[in-house]
Amino acid sequence: MTISFILNGEDVSLNARSYDRLADALREHFGLLGVKADCRRGVCGKCLILLDGRLAPSCLLPVFRVRGREVITIEGFSQTDEFADIMKGFAEAGLETCGFCDSGKILATAALLERQARPSAREILEEMASVPCRCTDPETMVKGVQAAAELKARRHYRRASQ
Amino acid sequence: MRASEVYFPDSLPALLDLVRRMPDAVIYSGGTEILRGQSEPYARLPPEVISICGLSELRQVALTERFVEIGACVTIAEILELRENAVPELFALALRGIGTPALRSLATIGGNLASTSRFMDAWPALACLDALVELRDASGSRWVNVNRLAGSDGAPDFPAGNILVRLRLPLDRWDLVVLRKVGTRDYPSKDTAVFALATKAEKGILSEFRLAFAGQIALRLREIESKFIGRRLPLESKQRSAFAEEYHEAAADLSPRLRLQFGTLVDGVLDLLSR
Amino acid sequence: MMEAERDAEGFSLSLTDISFEGMLHISTVRSPVARGRIRSVTPPRLPAGYRLILPSDIPGKNHILSFGAEVPILAAERASYRGEPVALVVGANPLVAAELARSTVVDCEEEEAVLSWESFSSEQVLSKRIAVMGDPDLAFSIAEETIEGTYRSGASEHLYSEPQGSVASFDYDKLGVWCATQWPYHVRDSVAIALGCKNEEVVVRPTRLGVHMDGKLWYPSLLSCHAAIAAYLVRKPSRIFLTREEDFLYSPKRARSSITLRAALDSTGRISAVDARVAVNVGAYGPLAEETLSQICLAAPGAYACPNLRVEGYAVTTNDPPMGAFGGLGASQAFFAAEATAALLAQESGEDPIDWKSRNVLRKGSLLITGEALKDEPPYEAIALRLAAASDFHRKYACYELVRKRRSGRADGPLRGIGFAFAYQGAGSFLTGDSPNSYTVEVSLEKDLTITIRTSAAACKPSVRAIWKRTAALLLDIPIDSVAVAPPDTDKAPNSGPVTLSRGVTVVNRLVEKACENIQKRRFRDPLPLTAKSVYRVPKPIRWENGRVEGSLFETASWGGAIVEVELDPWTLEPIPLSVWICVDGGLIVSRSHAESALRSGSADAIGLCVRERLDIASGAVTEEDYLSYGLMSPADLPPIHVELCETEKRPKSKGIGELPFDTIPPAFLAAVSQAAGTPFRELPVRPEDLSVVAEEA
Repeated sequence: MTISFILNGEDVSLNARSYDRLADALREHFGLLGVKADCRRGVCGKCLILLDGRLAPSCLLPVFRVRGREVITIEGFSQTDEFADIMKGFAEAGLETCGFCDSGKILATAALLERQARPSAREILEEMASVPCRCTDPETMVKGVQAAAELKARRHYRRASQ
Repeated sequence: MRASEVYFPDSLPALLDLVRRMPDAVIYSGGTEILRGQSEPYARLPPEVISICGLSELRQVALTERFVEIGACVTIAEILELRENAVPELFALALRGIGTPALRSLATIGGNLASTSRFMDAWPALACLDALVELRDASGSRWVNVNRLAGSDGAPDFPAGNILVRLRLPLDRWDLVVLRKVGTRDYPSKDTAVFALATKAEKGILSEFRLAFAGQIALRLREIESKFIGRRLPLESKQRSAFAEEYHEAAADLSPRLRLQFGTLVDGVLDLLSR
Repeated sequence: MMEAERDAEGFSLSLTDISFEGMLHISTVRSPVARGRIRSVTPPRLPAGYRLILPSDIPGKNHILSFGAEVPILAAERASYRGEPVALVVGANPLVAAELARSTVVDCEEEEAVLSWESFSSEQVLSKRIAVMGDPDLAFSIAEETIEGTYRSGASEHLYSEPQGSVASFDYDKLGVWCATQWPYHVRDSVAIALGCKNEEVVVRPTRLGVHMDGKLWYPSLLSCHAAIAAYLVRKPSRIFLTREEDFLYSPKRARSSITLRAALDSTGRISAVDARVAVNVGAYGPLAEETLSQICLAAPGAYACPNLRVEGYAVTTNDPPMGAFGGLGASQAFFAAEATAALLAQESGEDPIDWKSRNVLRKGSLLITGEALKDEPPYEAIALRLAAASDFHRKYACYELVRKRRSGRADGPLRGIGFAFAYQGAGSFLTGDSPNSYTVEVSLEKDLTITIRTSAAACKPSVRAIWKRTAALLLDIPIDSVAVAPPDTDKAPNSGPVTLSRGVTVVNRLVEKACENIQKRRFRDPLPLTAKSVYRVPKPIRWENGRVEGSLFETASWGGAIVEVELDPWTLEPIPLSVWICVDGGLIVSRSHAESALRSGSADAIGLCVRERLDIASGAVTEEDYLSYGLMSPADLPPIHVELCETEKRPKSKGIGELPFDTIPPAFLAAVSQAAGTPFRELPVRPEDLSVVAEEA
């Protein structure tokens, strides 16, 4: 079946079989290697995408599930101002990651900041449960997200003032 | 690998028509229950799949002073984002224990309740709260108490050929609510279950006592619960022992580990009521 | 030489993303039995382009050498564990290859699996360690008090950042191998043995390693042999990449251990004797048996002074899958038993544990198990006082003790406990067996005044590479942005040994220092570029002979303590960690923020081991149910983790600190839970069956 959806801001169509997982389709058909199909159970966070702005594990989405929806991967998100806020916030906090969970942590931060401009430490840690990783230092993670939130808020304020 | 036929009904009547014509088709809502236990590259799906997540009729939320109604395709995450106190605390506690935020963005309340293999996290809390679900089939629609989704043998008993359209939750006040998930949190194994308790007391006398425990099978023992009503608190030692014995006996069909954990939970409740 | 894509620093990408044109995919045919004679391996009809690889197809030797053990690349005549690789299927479509592998029939004459390891036969003993110091029998016979307990540590899964795998591809006369490995040279040498070629004909290009938890010390070499053999036979790039599930089911786990510890106190309340009996289940082949057993036995007395000591340890082979390292080589399991024993002794004496330990802890001049005297004073008071102050330990411990003794049931209120543990992490511990006799690091000062550091250990964390860069920049007075670490490819970087036991911060950093010092002496007199090689000769390994331990326990040690406070959930009685305090004296800390962050993430992992991570492997294999149920603790469920670093040495050196959370937090947690429950537990996580004791007492 042909499934049409919006991928990283562009209209795309894919001839997909019912059993194709979105994670694999993004990697193999669209070359978006930032998505990694690791556990295939929706628990490791390495395949996370934004589906209509919400964090979702793409390994648990058959391609047909995104018909008519908007999908953003880390590649698409990396072109945004929010991405820059998050990277800078993480750097300010000195957040070090293992290199495998970065995309998940960035998108989880993006999804959270979309709902909550100033998330609490508890809210941040709950959101990061979507990307469990042994490299996570909870305190620095919280600082990184809060720093990103601050940068995003200031950028919006500057824009509003112009 | 054989491809499935996937249907995308654009209205509730269209969905019902598909269900009538293909009684063996699987309703695909969030899909988390279907895919979570699978780790092969391809998604193993039944021959016929009806994808309903786009149906707006199943995504409505209505809030009144006395109850809240939630459409079957509203996701767990969306329910938790409703304004404070929009849903009963016991229900919110149950939903927060489901998976991770990313999983909750996909999982729907309808999918959670309509599971036929086991009881998922929401059922015990909804059973205690006497929630209702609207079921629809070819002959029409009706409201059914969530407790009737468990058969007399305790196994899930979602009626075949029916669509779960929405959930209605009374917004009563409770004095004590307890929600605990035991066993493995991330994956519903045979030793995973959820315990829910809701009680009310007026002037030191128990006016409501509801307790549900469900995993692969459900325990909701109204005949024992009715014996609590009207009891003065704190419970006397003899009463406490009698209730403990009744509950422990009723748990005989649970797995040894769940029986143990259920016993610990019940003893904790009885300890509290005996203080 | 064929090249895969690299990142901005020049390091290979993660293995998941490496792909070559025409690459074929390998799937593993596995033994269905834990023990037995392999009669035949019969594939289904193979489509064109797919082939089966059998042990007889291996051009070189059919084994890898792993720290004294020989592990078959493909089991030929006998299967020794369920899931053991027996053959490979290779072809263009990974799913077809997987299906063909699944459908291949491995006909075995099954024998009864040997799974018992706490009691075992002499044939099962792969390694034995015995050491006696003083006269423990006499000390026990005149002891004022003795205590005995058996402490078990279960298997754990590494849950590293990326499942294991390897890609191999021939390019003219060389074979390129891409894999995530802690030890590139071990991969290189193993593949050369398997192919029957020279080491130099194999070039390993390590991919991003991420978090490894010591699960990628030797296993990548096995998978690389599979990839290399396939590439050799089919003459195409070949890739083996375990799915997460397959990795979980079949890759090595932490070795299970059982330590029976008996301790005696004299009339002054001091430890007069310790008798430790250690059994470690190293599974089939026991690739790290010697090292694991040594580490556990050496740490068996804990951080306590003990004049009379007997340690008897056995590495026991079974038909479980091969087991091995997990966040270190086993010392944490020994500290678990030692600290649990100390907690009970303190409790029975009625004394505050911090005070009790102060009387018994190692001091400068204390005799160690090796017979040497401890050179430096352990910073016990500095660490214990800081922790006690931060956590209000003394008051809480006394209060919870009172509740424990007087409680009649859980209706009396929340059941809480607080525990304290103290341990060390030896620096300069070396892996023996296949380790080279020396480790090398090269540093070059180029004409453009940039610095290049070359070491095979560069696969480690970026923060460790940053430490090397900082060291070089400071010593050579060059901006840090002008310092680069070359990728750890084996045709470019010298053999600096495995990335483990915090060697990056200790051994390798010192080698970088020495090389830079050498360059600094020459730079204004000799023309650029200048290259200095810094070589570290591995000291003689510890020897266990005639009931004695000879050698040096450690060159230096970092010391740490942890306090954990828990509360039993009022409804389920499951222990909930309320707070963790950890204080470490790690010598010279180059970056405090990185050290604190590493301790926090290590503490989070250690708490996860206490609360939920455990595999029972009861039937000789990890099951699918285990895979679906196992997981890390949610960050939202973690307690606050308070980290302090203290520096007590006058001339501190860099030391490793990464194992200290695993050495200290589990025993502190155990002590806290035991106090809260009013009953001594001996293993973690505490199971519902164990908690029912608390419910019954209530």
